[in-house]
Amino acid sequence: MDKDYKYVGRTFPIHDAEQKVNGSLQYLSDMKLPNMLYAKLLLSPIAHAHITNIDTSKAEALPGVVRVFTHLNTPAKTYSRYRIVPDQEVCLEDERLLTEKARFVGDRIAAVVAVSKEIATQAIDLIQVDYAELPVLNTPEKALEEQADKIHSAGNLLHEFEYKIGEIELAEDCVEVETLTNTQKVHHAAMEPHVCLADYDSSGKLTLWAACQGAFGVRTVVADLLELSYNKVRVIKVPMGGSFGGRQEIIFEPLTAFLAKEVKRPVKLTLTREETIISTMTRPATSSRVRTLVNQEGRLVDCRVDTVLDAGAYATSSIDNTYVMAKKICKLYRIPYYEHRGKTVYTNTPVAGGARGWGAPEIMTALEIHMDAVAKGLGIDLIEFRLLNLVHPYDLDKTSQISLGNARVRECLLKGAETFGWSEKFHRWNIAPNQGRFRRGVGLACAAHKNGMYGGFPEHSTMTLKMNEDGSFILNTGLHELGCGTITSITQIVAEVLDIDPKFITTLEADTENGPYDFGSYGSRVTYICGACAYEVSQRVREKVLECASQIFQTPIESLENGAGRVWVRGDEQHSLSYREIATTAKLKYNTDIVLTHTYHGTSNPGAYAVHFAEVEVDTATGRVQVKDYLAAHDIGKAINPGMVEGQIQGGVQMGIGYALYEEIKVKTDGSILSRSLKNYHVLNAPDMPEVRILLIEEGGDEGPYGAKSIGEIAFVPVAAAVVNAVNNALGTSLSNLPLTPEKIIAALNARRDVSGMRYE
Amino acid sequence: MQIEFTVNGQMYNLTVSPTLRLIDLLREELGLTGTKEGCGEGECGSCTVIMNGKAVNSCLVLAPQIRGQEILTIEALEKDGLDKLQESFIKNSAVQCGFCTPGMLMSAKALLMKNPTPSEEEIKTAIAGNLCRCTGYNKIVQAIKDAAE
Repeated sequence: MDKDYKYVGRTFPIHDAEQKVNGSLQYLSDMKLPNMLYAKLLLSPIAHAHITNIDTSKAEALPGVVRVFTHLNTPAKTYSRYRIVPDQEVCLEDERLLTEKARFVGDRIAAVVAVSKEIATQAIDLIQVDYAELPVLNTPEKALEEQADKIHSAGNLLHEFEYKIGEIELAEDCVEVETLTNTQKVHHAAMEPHVCLADYDSSGKLTLWAACQGAFGVRTVVADLLELSYNKVRVIKVPMGGSFGGRQEIIFEPLTAFLAKEVKRPVKLTLTREETIISTMTRPATSSRVRTLVNQEGRLVDCRVDTVLDAGAYATSSIDNTYVMAKKICKLYRIPYYEHRGKTVYTNTPVAGGARGWGAPEIMTALEIHMDAVAKGLGIDLIEFRLLNLVHPYDLDKTSQISLGNARVRECLLKGAETFGWSEKFHRWNIAPNQGRFRRGVGLACAAHKNGMYGGFPEHSTMTLKMNEDGSFILNTGLHELGCGTITSITQIVAEVLDIDPKFITTLEADTENGPYDFGSYGSRVTYICGACAYEVSQRVREKVLECASQIFQTPIESLENGAGRVWVRGDEQHSLSYREIATTAKLKYNTDIVLTHTYHGTSNPGAYAVHFAEVEVDTATGRVQVKDYLAAHDIGKAINPGMVEGQIQGGVQMGIGYALYEEIKVKTDGSILSRSLKNYHVLNAPDMPEVRILLIEEGGDEGPYGAKSIGEIAFVPVAAAVVNAVNNALGTSLSNLPLTPEKIIAALNARRDVSGMRYE
Repeated sequence: MQIEFTVNGQMYNLTVSPTLRLIDLLREELGLTGTKEGCGEGECGSCTVIMNGKAVNSCLVLAPQIRGQEILTIEALEKDGLDKLQESFIKNSAVQCGFCTPGMLMSAKALLMKNPTPSEEEIKTAIAGNLCRCTGYNKIVQAIKDAAE
């Protein structure tokens, strides 16, 4: 990428940074409406039970309580919180506003609407529920036993599939290696707990202020459930304190909307941290058995994967989540024959759903732990082995038959290893004695993810760009700022095309009533797809500006040039027209409005790639692991806003180290949840965090704006495997049951003292 | 009960419940919503304010404890323009979703008030009680370092 851009490729702060540092930005938690009421939920303390009786009379009698709701006075209609568009496939409608049967600790039993939070909370304590307890199925194994009770009437096996592609090669002289990797349920841990706010006005219109990733999906689910037409439901995206997939699905908006509609006043529901941990969504727990055959040259010839995904108590996106796990491995390695079987299973545990990376972190963790096991088993160098098998630029994705684009994963590996000092570190920790109390090791992991939904789902985005009379611009979009800098990077793209200072461009977020349609901010589609839409609509508006200028100058467009918010006839820059003059003259003299709406259709889905390198130190006395050095190499095509890109990567590493070492929503055999607060759910803090060195490979070559590819999700994908591989390297273990807590590390060290040699779990 | 205290230089004399938390007093009674609630149990630091020069979790402080105390919230950080720390956070891309930012800034401010030239370790320790899920802390630590220099 030789071209020197004015705005693209430069660091800008997130658009609302100033309001964030002075505390003036109103998040959904901070919003209040006149006449607003407060909702509070009764969440099930029992993991699996029929509700035999609910007595709400005492709660209803409490002064200040407006209404109390249970399954007895709410619609029995079920819905899917995962739905984006009507008629979408694989949206199992198994959830109702308030349940008639407790399916996990945290299930919604009742809701109180009151004049204050305090009264609502008191009223909840006055509701008496009688439960007839059922056996608790807290693992997929238990749920799949023949005699197991059915969590939902259709049975506990939600879905299963088998997928085969390629040609089976003769497996002579091949080595077979099998590994089993377990990943756990984790909390997204966005710093703002979940909040919903809805109002139903006298005209029959429902308005939701939503801290969400997809306003149109919220509208679809709420309107369909409450049987309102889509023009009567307005969803406005408002500032949110982080998401990471936790606000992708439509969890509490349907209930809050229902409550507001019933009481005909604004209703706000604010969850506590504990409620957010247990009753919203978790990353799914998975178990993946990976089996490969590798020939004498070290090439993969055959890969077979069996995955079981623990969906928790409701289906949400779990079937798709299981399915996408089958779509990742062939984006990373060339594999002649690939086979994947997936099972999605209901359990009496917190509900799993969308989480940063969507299946990629889970399967890539399993795969990259496996790749280390194979290389060690064959005695091949960890990097050499991967280089023999990694995809090359413009390979076809075997599973989708779509080009992987300018896939620069090999470069990430080679340059990353060099910058990290891999050889030197590897030799230092593996040749010299590494037997003291503190043992060091290094690990690496490659990863592939995607850019949008093309190939698996419709993929388009619509935006309207309007030129004001003073030459400033408003870009109306269906975007959602989650805290990643989306609004800023989209604005930079528009600024670059129009050659105007970004401060003269306002980019709006989703509003289902006033803005154009977009699927939402997930699927690593925002920069690649929405960014391309911003690029194209800006190009078209620029053409229109030039058309107007050509009328004013009475010269053909071809002879015009523009820059820095001005247009002139080539060779006569002195007599240039400002954007203001063009916009105003267009209105007054030519009766022309400079405004365009454009729909961009995605037609490609290249891979997004990363290779991460970790150096760890394990205290063999306590089992505690510290990450001492870290390097993340990313094939990003082009970094639109490098400062925010680095922030995405460093934040992904923070989350990934937690995934590898600490974080877990632990569910006991009785279905009760041990990690109910941040006291016993460890999120990495500043002293835990290593400095993350970053290497960006910016080779463009794909259809994203200025060659840009996705970053937010891929940044998290390789982290856990890199850290786990480093721990195994330090200790000579083969741990693959995440998270590698001190207890597991000590147990593995003790086990090793008892047996000689190494075996992979 | 009646209590007298100062918030951001302004004296208050209010009748409040003895179980009222400082965070609720600030957010609900005084309308200072820059102080955020992330966990309600002193684990995340989003609600950090400065009380008599010390960073505290305002969700763990009850009304009787603030009698006669001087409290500074994020709203007071900006004086004749942004504070050096605020500017540094913006310049270093240390702000993402921003929900932890006010608390993070108040912890950093309390540190710099006491120790104008902290080491990197001292910075990390000062913000050890402030969780951030977006940034991985690297840029926040750098921002505080820059502001201290």
